[in-house]
Amino acid sequence: MESYSKALNILMKSPVTDEMIQYLTRTTLQVLPYGNNQSYPSPPGSPSASLSKQPRLPSLRTFITRLVRYTNVYTPTLLTTVCYLNKLKRILPKDAKGLPSTIHRLFLACLIISAKFHNDSSPLNKHWTRYTDGLFSLEDINLMERQLLQLLNWNLRVTNEDLILDLQVLLEPIREHIEITKIQKKKLQQYKKQARQIKYNKCYDHQRSVSTLSNLSSTSTLVNNSYNSLSEMKSAMNGPSLHSHPIDIWHDSNISSYGWNLEQVAI
Amino acid sequence: MSSGSQFKQLEKLGNGTYATVYKGLNKTTGEFVALKEVKLDSEEGTPSTAIREISLMKELKHENIVRLYDVIHTENKLTLVFEYMDKDLKKYMDSRTVGNAPVGLELHLVKYFQWQLLEGLAFCHENKILHRDLKPQNLLINKKGQLKIGDFGLARAFGIPVNTFSSEVVTLWYRAPDVLMGSRTYSTSIDIWSCGCILAEMITGKPLFPGTNEEEQLKLIFETMGTPNEQSWPGISSLPKYNPGFPQHLPKNLKSILQAHCASDLDDTLIALLHGLLQLNPDMRLSAKQALHHPWFAEYYQQQQQ
Repeated sequence: MESYSKALNILMKSPVTDEMIQYLTRTTLQVLPYGNNQSYPSPPGSPSASLSKQPRLPSLRTFITRLVRYTNVYTPTLLTTVCYLNKLKRILPKDAKGLPSTIHRLFLACLIISAKFHNDSSPLNKHWTRYTDGLFSLEDINLMERQLLQLLNWNLRVTNEDLILDLQVLLEPIREHIEITKIQKKKLQQYKKQARQIKYNKCYDHQRSVSTLSNLSSTSTLVNNSYNSLSEMKSAMNGPSLHSHPIDIWHDSNISSYGWNLEQVAI
Repeated sequence: MSSGSQFKQLEKLGNGTYATVYKGLNKTTGEFVALKEVKLDSEEGTPSTAIREISLMKELKHENIVRLYDVIHTENKLTLVFEYMDKDLKKYMDSRTVGNAPVGLELHLVKYFQWQLLEGLAFCHENKILHRDLKPQNLLINKKGQLKIGDFGLARAFGIPVNTFSSEVVTLWYRAPDVLMGSRTYSTSIDIWSCGCILAEMITGKPLFPGTNEEEQLKLIFETMGTPNEQSWPGISSLPKYNPGFPQHLPKNLKSILQAHCASDLDDTLIALLHGLLQLNPDMRLSAKQALHHPWFAEYYQQQQQ
């Protein structure tokens, strides 16, 4: 648990990544797993009408990405929405359905509430209409906010345990890195100890004027080794590059198929 | 959730930070309630103050915290239904003023009120909630001598790694020196400082540090408590508004300052408690739990243990 808390602190301090947005998108879609099928077969509106008035509904992922870009939202504000979304998933009936834009509304309302609850200053609802590129009117936003507060029955407290449970997918790679770094640190210390030992031996050998080539070469490899692990350690400590290895692999296998799903939903 | 028609609105009780409070009557139970009405501005939506006050107070069920019974949320009005209290501590103290001279409360009453304040606050802190606006106006009392903490409009949950905190919190006179110097990493000690100011105010009937701006507020604090430095408060020089050129003052004798405005003799344990609450360095301040175990409260906790 302690290493998860550490990972949570690191995650919350790192900038918003694409991976977080993808995770949020998936979580939002799971709130209403059948919610959008109903609207899927409906034909698109005539071009003139849809162009003039209503902005085209972007995919959920695009919608979230734009919100993040326009608002510069803090990572913790963004990620705590996951807890609200999961609460909603438990509250709403399994077969709940909505309009094509319902998932967008759900996400936006969660983000607004998270910002208002967790920050000392947060955007007004009129600002949020601008952040959605006019997709939702002020009345829409006020209504979705009120409905969400009622659905959640004003229970907006989020604990560390909630966050660790709901963000586990994002936390796991960081936690692994912490563990690896710990092992590397230990190894590094061992290397240093050995290097010192060898140095000592060498001096001892020198004193005895018996310097051997093999000893020298082994010393230099050891020094190289420890440099390697030092730079690795550094990169492991750096926030953003944390995600370089394990997550990328995870990305490739899962997310591309998700992108396809998203396009299906967004029409 | 209940409908608005369940309550009959009676006379206006006052204006809060973002709302108007009325006395109300619960028509089904015949009980009085306090109705806090928040006008909803469509541009703002539901105010964040209301969102926090409701979500935090909902779970705070304690006899020294005003109870939130219900919330009625309509398109243009939000009504919070609270337990009814007779008046706030500020009004009560004002009502005792003789002519122009403020009069402190009897010390046994000061002790009873302070004990209840700390009990309520300890419960908030146990539940990881900072009040951030403790002052006599926000402490409500009734004819039975009960005191309850109200107005959680500035309150905030802590303990999860969320964003930084604003230093624009707490009414100036009750604001801790670390917050005045721009600290954003404060925690429960922010409320403890306010409790110290309130205790002194109950004793003398007048505010301890009535500054008119942030600069004067710090000046008043340092004149009485002494000017802190890196030795007495390690880390102080890294606070945003710390000024190495603050005028240097030695601490004054708090007892003689307060005794001048108090008819009965102040005993040393009370002054010791005040010093524990009014430590300049936030890390040195007592916690609410520790303060409740202070010798000045011996009669209460001994009673509790029996």
